[in-house]
Amino acid sequence: MHLKRMGAGAVLAAAVCAPLSAQVAGERIQITGEIIDTWCYFSGVMGGPEAVVGSAHHTCALWCSAGGIPVGLLGDDGEVYMVLKLGDDDASAGGDTQLRLASHQITADGMLYQRDGLNYLVVSEVVADDGIVNLSHDDFGVTPGFAIPEPKE
Amino acid sequence: MRAAGLVVAAFSLAGPSFAHDGVSHTTQAEAAAHAAAVPPGPALPLPFDVGGAFVLTDHTGAARSQADPAGRMQLVFFGYANCPSICSAAMPMIADTVDVLAGQGVMAVPVMITVDPARDTPETMAEPLHQMHPDFIGLTGTEAELAQVRDLFGVESKVVFTDPDHGDVFAHGSHIYLLDGAGEVLTLIPPILSAARAAEIAARYADGI
Repeated sequence: MHLKRMGAGAVLAAAVCAPLSAQVAGERIQITGEIIDTWCYFSGVMGGPEAVVGSAHHTCALWCSAGGIPVGLLGDDGEVYMVLKLGDDDASAGGDTQLRLASHQITADGMLYQRDGLNYLVVSEVVADDGIVNLSHDDFGVTPGFAIPEPKE
Repeated sequence: MRAAGLVVAAFSLAGPSFAHDGVSHTTQAEAAAHAAAVPPGPALPLPFDVGGAFVLTDHTGAARSQADPAGRMQLVFFGYANCPSICSAAMPMIADTVDVLAGQGVMAVPVMITVDPARDTPETMAEPLHQMHPDFIGLTGTEAELAQVRDLFGVESKVVFTDPDHGDVFAHGSHIYLLDGAGEVLTLIPPILSAARAAEIAARYADGI
């Protein structure tokens, strides 16, 4: 696990207003993990959890992000953090940063908000980007296969 | 396969059995048990500065503000009525959530604020929305009015490509906003949750209003 809790009080993202209580305010953290396609990861319709991360699922993850699926950060701690904002993109899906970092192993610095049993992450800075390190296509090929369309005749 | 068709295929395969949040499950039973779990802790005030006052035009041509005239909770989603991607999954989930809540005696209404006013007019929105739920409210307006509302909710939207058959396909923010009857944002609901899980979250806030 690589989860570094840094304590509250650091700079909040622009979208976040003044905290109402310590529990509500969230906390500043650094999390290392993979940017994932939350729809396919949670729904299970494209395969098990190992098949819908990494290089095997990279193309589908791009489609899903472009289609509006919020990206998540699958932390090395096993938790999924729903990304509300990522770097310069004030969005949770489809932005240039979300697409560029799809399937990448990153370390994110930002604010964690836990509510309704969910983890929400406002990423203020991507402090490390190791690219795609989970070469899951070796085991699963392209998941799903139709993520790469057949060329038109 | 056309791009829009690919997105449709991805979402149409979705089922509720493994829908959950934040935790990876390897079996349906495990996922179902987690989905049924009560979220820990009380319903908390939202730390994000989102939402606000607006007036748009509903699918009947009438003006509608952020408040529900009947005082119901509102599940608000930004999308478009004929969206082939996330809306085709999120809006039916919202409709189901409203029904789940109604079964618990919690009155809520599904609301879609369009990102595509060129196609979503009062004349065209009602039919596709009401196929999903008879109470679905569609809201449209001028480009400027809708941009202002998107800014209130921190939602971005842009055309990502134009399908020769379908037309413009938009990328847009897809989180669902739970509003009280007065139009105050209570919390977010990710569109990837099951209706049961979304209703469970919404019901927690209904207790306090």
